[in-house]
Amino acid sequence: MSRTTLIGGLAMLALVLMIASLLSGPAGLGPMTSLRALVAGGDEAAMLIMHEIRLPRALLAALVGFSLGVSGAALQGFLRNPLAEPGIIGVSASAALGAVLMFYTGVAGASLLALPAGALAGAAVCVAVLMAIAAARASTITLILAGVALSSLAAALTSLILNLSPNPFAAYEIIFWLLGSLKDRTMDHVWLALPVMALGWACLWASTRALDALTLGEEGAAGLGISMARTRWLIIGGVALSVGAATAVTGAIGFIGLIVPHLIRPLTDRLPGNLLLPSGLGGAALLTAADIAARSAIAERELNVGVVTALIGAPFFLWLVVRSRREVF
Amino acid sequence: MIRVVKSITAGVTAAWLLAAPGLAQDPLPTVASLNVCTDQLAMALAAPGQLKSVSALARDPMLSPMHEQANAYSVNRGLAEEVFTLKPDVIVTGTFSLHNTTSLLERLDFRVEPFGYTQTLDTIPNDIRRMGQLMGRTQHAEQMAQQFEARLAALKPLKCKRKPVAIAWGQRGVALGSGTLAHSVITAAGFDNLAATSGHDGMAPFPLELLVTNPPDLIILPHAMPGAPALADEALRHPVLKRLPGTVTASFSRAALWSCGAPFTLDAVDELRQMASRLKPCQPEPGS
Repeated sequence: MSRTTLIGGLAMLALVLMIASLLSGPAGLGPMTSLRALVAGGDEAAMLIMHEIRLPRALLAALVGFSLGVSGAALQGFLRNPLAEPGIIGVSASAALGAVLMFYTGVAGASLLALPAGALAGAAVCVAVLMAIAAARASTITLILAGVALSSLAAALTSLILNLSPNPFAAYEIIFWLLGSLKDRTMDHVWLALPVMALGWACLWASTRALDALTLGEEGAAGLGISMARTRWLIIGGVALSVGAATAVTGAIGFIGLIVPHLIRPLTDRLPGNLLLPSGLGGAALLTAADIAARSAIAERELNVGVVTALIGAPFFLWLVVRSRREVF
Repeated sequence: MIRVVKSITAGVTAAWLLAAPGLAQDPLPTVASLNVCTDQLAMALAAPGQLKSVSALARDPMLSPMHEQANAYSVNRGLAEEVFTLKPDVIVTGTFSLHNTTSLLERLDFRVEPFGYTQTLDTIPNDIRRMGQLMGRTQHAEQMAQQFEARLAALKPLKCKRKPVAIAWGQRGVALGSGTLAHSVITAAGFDNLAATSGHDGMAPFPLELLVTNPPDLIILPHAMPGAPALADEALRHPVLKRLPGTVTASFSRAALWSCGAPFTLDAVDELRQMASRLKPCQPEPGS
């Protein structure tokens, strides 16, 4: 399949799913009423619902999905590890911890701006620690295990902080931070996260050539004039910015960055640099679909979207582990 | 001599008569309360020195409308040991909380009196009377209960073109439907409760989208906790709430006004009726 066809097809898929997301909700607006209210105007109530409730949700699902897909593809390429993924190696959980630490302790007041700042710091620390471990020529398994340790620690500390908050609602929010949700987000959240995410995508985009060269090994890449240090910083920065911003507004959503690159890799020339954009689009499509499922699985009750992605992703992860075992040993 | 004896007898009789009510009632039973709602009733009725301890939540301004009075009492965290050392004659608590503590205290031969969770305004007077009896403050309680009943009975329908519709919509988008004390307060104030008329029972999530398609006249928002932010409070600041035409959002002057059944619960009714004057269907016709 040509790269243009692949990218065009995935973009179309993401768009169709976004429209489906815009059309689903408890208010029971007809499809034509909904779309007219979105683009043209008309019924005031329908316009409010489309602009203030459904649009931010659909946009965030796509943007966060894109961030997770790109980050997963970049991490798998850079670490040359098929199991690398922001959720599994603890980046999302650390971002959640950072956000929780900033927000619930009240150091920044109730300002939402505290969320991305904290999440960024948390994600960056986690990626840097993992890179340090990976730089010591650790095996695939060591890296994953270190990630599992970081992820459990971050989740435990997140729960601890939320339990210690005097606000009784904070304890409920453990579920949000560990399993993610797109419920009742506003355009404020979109504007808060989008610039940070976009900066992250740019960093990862700038590492495309380095990722391709790294398929020749570090020495081979160095021979092509690739600076390992620069690439490392681009990946750390890019993943921290995009996953940090995503987690700050939707909580930790796992497995998107794992599944999508694996599904799409066979459709590409297998160069990690060429996988970035298709993975992002695929991530946008997958998270949007998961969010629709989370809303419609049980009537009048909403699941956390991380539950849906884990239901798809965890069996997939197991399958990958079994397969990679067969290849390694 | 006889006269002297007579006068002594009379004196003794008079002294005895004076002392008699004291002999029957004095000293008043000492009381410890383990539940934030029984705290409110006990504080409202207690004679000085009688109430030995209230729950720690009684000092929380977010949960306890009488939090200022609570500063005068020592507080417990619902631990059997704390209560044991106070040796109160009566322990009052809620039926839904601290079962381990209360069953332990009962085994230790304490008198434990559980109070059910208040769900309607008209059960409050009898709770006041029961608390009064337990505390040996029957007369005081009877007066308070009658005052409550009179206030409740004096409520008249709102002077509005149609019955206004209200909803208590709070953190995480949870609304208070039928079977809640809030529902009883809303209907007593002369409103329809949108959550109840949409078929919600108890505390249930009410989707934001349905607030837009079926907008109430009044949305009653709870207070966000100062100094301890939670994402749940963001629901109260959602831009949609401000952009609903013809819908007023308001909060009570104090937090937790309808979380417990007590005399102040009627203040919630009064405040709702004051809010009604700002609602569209309750505006006087221009020129009339």
